[in-house]
Amino acid sequence: MTDKKRNTILFIVLAFGLFLMFFVSISLGSVTIPFKDVYTSLTGGHATKSTWEYIIINYRLPKAITAVLVGTGLSISGLLMQTLFRNPLAGPYVLGLSSGASLGVAFVILGAGFLPPFLSVIALSSYGIVIASTFGSSLVLLLVLLVSQRLRDTMAILIVGLMFGSFTTAIVSVLTYFSTAEQLQKFTFWSMGSLGNLSWPTIIILAVCVSIGLLLSASSIKPLNALLLGENYAKSMGLNFKNARLIIIFATSILAGSITAFAGPIAFIGLAVPHIAKLVFQTSNHTVLFWSTLFFGAIIMLFCDVVSQMPGFDVTLPINAITSIIGAPVVIWLLVKKRNFQ
Amino acid sequence: MKQLFPKLAFFISFFLLIGCKKNEAEAVAATEIAKNSIEYASGLSIVKHEGYSVVKVSNPWPNANKSFTYILKEKDAKIPDSLVSYTTIKVPLESVVVTSTTNIPFLEMLEVEDKLIGFPHTDYISSEKTRKLIDKGAVKNVGQNEKLNIEQLIELAPELIVTFGVDNNNPMLDNLKKSGLNVFIQADWMEQSPLGKAEWIKLYGALFGKEDKAKELFDKIVLSYNQALKLVAEKPAVSTVLYGSMYEDVWYVAKGNSWVAQFMKDAHSNYLWADLKGTGSEGLSFEKILVKAKTANFWIASGSFKSLEEVAKANPHYAEFDAFKNKNVYNFEGKLGATGGTVFYELSPSRPDLVLKDYIKIFHPDLLPSYEFTFASKLK
Repeated sequence: MTDKKRNTILFIVLAFGLFLMFFVSISLGSVTIPFKDVYTSLTGGHATKSTWEYIIINYRLPKAITAVLVGTGLSISGLLMQTLFRNPLAGPYVLGLSSGASLGVAFVILGAGFLPPFLSVIALSSYGIVIASTFGSSLVLLLVLLVSQRLRDTMAILIVGLMFGSFTTAIVSVLTYFSTAEQLQKFTFWSMGSLGNLSWPTIIILAVCVSIGLLLSASSIKPLNALLLGENYAKSMGLNFKNARLIIIFATSILAGSITAFAGPIAFIGLAVPHIAKLVFQTSNHTVLFWSTLFFGAIIMLFCDVVSQMPGFDVTLPINAITSIIGAPVVIWLLVKKRNFQ
Repeated sequence: MKQLFPKLAFFISFFLLIGCKKNEAEAVAATEIAKNSIEYASGLSIVKHEGYSVVKVSNPWPNANKSFTYILKEKDAKIPDSLVSYTTIKVPLESVVVTSTTNIPFLEMLEVEDKLIGFPHTDYISSEKTRKLIDKGAVKNVGQNEKLNIEQLIELAPELIVTFGVDNNNPMLDNLKKSGLNVFIQADWMEQSPLGKAEWIKLYGALFGKEDKAKELFDKIVLSYNQALKLVAEKPAVSTVLYGSMYEDVWYVAKGNSWVAQFMKDAHSNYLWADLKGTGSEGLSFEKILVKAKTANFWIASGSFKSLEEVAKANPHYAEFDAFKNKNVYNFEGKLGATGGTVFYELSPSRPDLVLKDYIKIFHPDLLPSYEFTFASKLK
């Protein structure tokens, strides 16, 4: 079987898996809704109970779409970073991008009290939070890149990323010290991560941001492949390296920033998914990797969402806990097998 | 979240707590005639003897493995040898530092607020009377959130610091004691019965030598509470009630034996989670809440919402409940003091009669036509 044939079959399986997982995520939840009612609600009919219809259309469907957006966005930003840094352990959470976004959001949520009222309303709107969060994540990414110019050692870059992460976390905790109980509560719950309380208009904002990020990434597939062979090689191929890198940085920041703004800092997806894609497809060609990471990201995030609200349980677990429980072992396993990746 | 404690003292008491057991039977038997003067509070006992009182706090925090006994000694009084091992506090106090806003109304009701010389995070205090003292500089800020500033306290040297513990590890309390300051652990926030919380005024009565005044004030509150109960006695509990709010994906409802649930029961309403055993709160998924409470008549929202618009903005799913559509949404935490403290957190534990009347007016408005809400507001 040729690689191409194998990949085609894999993609068909993935597409089918995504479809299935999407439907499973909509069908399962803490309230048991018969399969028939799920189907009628989705196809525009009326379910047996109006509350069921509301849950399917206005709660589970937006949540599943958010999961797809978050999963694809974070995974692709992880893939971009791993290639950009030529480091298998790079990812938006590990390199402190999520903490940078948190810092942006913290400034907005916790600092809004210091602004004049008309400004604080603007700052606290969905747009204000997205902008602050994207700004925060791109700032950290730029700083990490700046340092990585000087330190060629990949381990050092990771440590620098971790340091930026703890630095921003420290600033956030200083901020929390001076904020009111209510602001603090709001921020604490935000930082636990959530897929479930986005309204349709906010989902559209998120979808637009993620689409811009994904389109930019898709347009960077060629430079990404060239980057794999090293910067000098990329330059020798006539690639406008600076431009390409700027686009990749912007795409990564907007993906990590917008997702963190709306869903909270979600751990490990960005790091683990690209590796899963690489392992399954056994290639480093970004044309294939882009699409496979996209599919895997969506499927795994949907799976985490299903786990976070297993049927029969009254309580939903924070999504961040689930992604970490699934993601952390993957990272440890990667570290153990690290030789294979370098 | 630990930093929020003073302001959230009792917010957390119904949000996080597990359970408290009655522990009244162990009154100190130093003299035959002495009697515990506490009737409703389950975690406090005060036994008055000739020249001194024995105060026992038996349930200082959730799952506590110890209790605290204090001897309040009047001038020149003799303490029996069997009691000298306990912390002795000379009363009446001339200066005090308290750490929970819930204690401020007790001091004011007993007219000893001028004895208060320090409070951590004074911004949380809303009462105008005490705020004036703060503005004058008579009440010093001695910390940020729950963190007491030990240096400032040593400098201030109050005769007593009345504070609370959160769990069995309280290194800060040990530090305070080591520095020679007298510390009293109070636990009004652990009480689950409305009158039990309010009865802690008697502790302050004992500390300031105003036992009779405290009893008189408390008896008035009991009377007022019982009158309100009588008022609503004939009314059937027909209105169904949804309680709480959603934080990210989780909706927190008050459990059936909690402080809030008790008020809803006493005000003759049909709280939908009255059968949920236990005190504190339970986090449930939005789906479960919607299925059960979509048609509820009333929604008592937690949080400091000011308008229905703000509610819908906070989470679009709120608008799906019938209570929201029919504009039957109330909240208790919207009224703030001059410096951002929540009036309900501060005043409600000491005035359960007013809380009950607010609830009665919500569910049976015809019973109290001329009564104005103290805490509650109907969201518009």
